[in-house]
Amino acid sequence: MERTVTVVPEDGLHARPASLFVETANEFDADVQLGRADEDDLVPAASMLAVTGLGVGHDESVRLVAEGDDAEAALDALEDILSTPEAKQ
Amino acid sequence: MTERTLSGIGVTPLSGVGTVVWYRPDADLPEPPAPADVDAEAELARFEDARAAAEDELEAERERTAERVGEEEAAVFDAHVQFLNDPQITDGVTDAIEGGLPAEHAVQETFTEFVEQFENMGGRMGERADDLRDVRDRLVRVLSDGERVDLSSLPEGSVVVAERLTPSDTAQLDPERVAGFVTMTGGRTSHAAIFARSLALPAIVGVGEELQSVEDGTEVVVDGESGDLVVDPTDERKEAAAAAADVDIRHESVETADGVDIEVAANIGTLADLGPAVDRGADGVGLFRTEFLFLDRESPPDEDEQYEAYVEALESFDGGRVVVRTLDIGGDKPVPYLDLPDEENPFLGERGIRRSLGPDADLFETQVRALLRAAASADGANLSVMLPLVSTVEELRAGRERFESVAADLDAEGVANELPEFGIMVETPAAAFMADQFAPHVDFFSIGTNDLAQYVMAAERGNERVSELGDYRQPAVLRAIDATVSAAEGEDCWVGMCGEMAGDPDLTELLVGLGLDELSMSAVTVPQVKAAVAETDTADARDLAERVLQADTKAEVAEILTLDQ
Repeated sequence: MERTVTVVPEDGLHARPASLFVETANEFDADVQLGRADEDDLVPAASMLAVTGLGVGHDESVRLVAEGDDAEAALDALEDILSTPEAKQ
Repeated sequence: MTERTLSGIGVTPLSGVGTVVWYRPDADLPEPPAPADVDAEAELARFEDARAAAEDELEAERERTAERVGEEEAAVFDAHVQFLNDPQITDGVTDAIEGGLPAEHAVQETFTEFVEQFENMGGRMGERADDLRDVRDRLVRVLSDGERVDLSSLPEGSVVVAERLTPSDTAQLDPERVAGFVTMTGGRTSHAAIFARSLALPAIVGVGEELQSVEDGTEVVVDGESGDLVVDPTDERKEAAAAAADVDIRHESVETADGVDIEVAANIGTLADLGPAVDRGADGVGLFRTEFLFLDRESPPDEDEQYEAYVEALESFDGGRVVVRTLDIGGDKPVPYLDLPDEENPFLGERGIRRSLGPDADLFETQVRALLRAAASADGANLSVMLPLVSTVEELRAGRERFESVAADLDAEGVANELPEFGIMVETPAAAFMADQFAPHVDFFSIGTNDLAQYVMAAERGNERVSELGDYRQPAVLRAIDATVSAAEGEDCWVGMCGEMAGDPDLTELLVGLGLDELSMSAVTVPQVKAAVAETDTADARDLAERVLQADTKAEVAEILTLDQ
C-alpha cells in the first residue's frame, strides 16, 4: 500500500513533527517505509535517525509505503501528521 | 596570584563567586581491551541496562524541565528517547559489541559516526547532531558509572565550566548548589541562557576557546551582567561580587526618594514563573502571557483549568495586582490545534485581539468566563485584564462588550462573577497616536515596548540586521511612550510598561520621569529596578526625560543617559 503526501509543517520532517511521526509509526504493527516522492530509496519510518536524516523540508512530497494488517490505518495516521501545520520549535 | 579577566556574554544581571568544576562529557575513553578479552554477552546486557537507565533519566528530566523551564524546552527529550531507541543505532552498537568492543566504546563509535554524518549535512541537521551527541554522552556516562563529573551532586559553590551545556546537562543542575556557569559557546538566546534566566543563576556564555585556560579548582567571579569572568579574583573583588550577589530583595512595595509609589511587577508565562517572581520581591504580575497556557498541548485548557491558573497567580501575592493579558496567538506563536493561516507577514497579520474577536471567538469566550469568575474569587479584586495588539477604538469596544455580555450570561446561570479592571496593551503606533481617545474607555494602559519598538521603527524583532533600529532607545520609540503617558494624564487611567525596557535599571529614572506608574519585567531584574526607583527623585527624573525627548538620535539619547549616571 502506497501514498504520496506533501509535507505541510513549517519545520518539514524535523524537530517535533519528526518526533511525532516516528512515535506514530512505532504504534502500528505495519512495516512503514518512507522516501522522497521523486526517488526510489526508502528508509524505515520507525527510525528517528533515518527520518530526520532524509532532510525533507516544508512543501516537499514524500512517498509512504506500508505493509501489514493495519497498513491503511498507519498511513492515515502518518498522512494526518504530515498534513497538519505544526508549532515551530 | 594575579587576577585576570575573560569576557563573554552575560545573560543574567547577577554575580556569583565559586570554584571551577570543568564538565567535559567528550573526554576520551581509555583504550579498549583486546577483542578476545571482551565478553560480548555481558557487554550487550550492560548496554541494555544503560539504555533503560538513560530512558528513565530522560523521562525524569523531561518532567523537571517542563515544570521549571516550560513545555517547549522539555520537548527535546522526546527526540532524545527516540534516538536512544532508534533501530539503526541499537543495531550499530550491537554489531560493534559483537565485533569485540566494550559497550561504552561501541556506543561512542556508533553515535559518533551518525553525529559526523549529520554534521556534514549542515543546517537543521547540525541541531540533530547536537541531540545525538547529547544522547551518546548520557549513555557513556551511565556506562562508565560516575567516572565523569555528576552534575546532580556538585559541591556547594561550584561554578560549572563547559564547552556547552545541553538541555540534559542543565536539567541535572541543582540551582541551590551551583554558584553559576560559564560556557565557551552559545548566545543570549541559547538554551543555557534561557535556563539561567528562569532560575536566576549567574551565567556567562560565548567566552570562546580562551576558557580552556581556566583550570579545575580555580576560584572565579561570574559577573552575569558585564559578561566578565574574573579568574583568581582579589579579596576586594570577591567581596564586591558577594555584596552584589546578595542583592537587596525588597518584598515591600517601593517609592521614589521623594515618596511617589511605583509598582514593580514581574512578567510571567507559566505558573512555574510565580515562585521566582515572589522570591525576587515582585509586587505582583504586570504581564501574564496567557498564551503559554495554550501552547505545547493537543487541545486548549478548559474554563476550570484557566480559572485555577488565574486564581493561583492571584493568591501568590499578598494583595498584589495581577494583570492578565488575554490570548495573544499568531505572529511568532503558532498553536498546533488551531488552524492558523499561512501569512506572508504574520507580525502584521491576524494576531492578538484580531483573532480573539475573529476566528478564536470561542476560545476567547472560555477565557473571558474564567477571568470573570476569577475576579469574583477571594483575591479577585486584584485582577486586571488587558487586550493585546489593539489598534482601533472599535476593537477595544468589542472586547469590552464581550466581557459584559459574558458576565450577563454568567449572571443568568447564577455563576459568581465580577468585571475586573480593564485595560489595553499599547504596542501599535495606532494605539499610541490615539491614546487620548482610548484613555476615557480604560482603567489602564500597559506599554509593550518589544512590539511597540518593532512597529514604530518597522524593524523586525529578532532580525539582527535591523536590531540597532528596533532598539527602544530610539527617539521615535521614546516619543511614542511619552505620547501615551501624556494622553492618560488627567484621565482615570494609570500607565504601566511591560517588556525588556522596563527591566533595564539604567532606564528606570527615565521611565519614572516619563510618568510611568508601573514597571513589569522578568523576575530576575526586579530587585535592581526597585533599588533604582528608591534612588530616583521625580523632579530630576522629569528633567532628564525632558532632555532625552529633545534628542535627535539614539546616540544622543545614550549620551544623555550615560552623563546622568
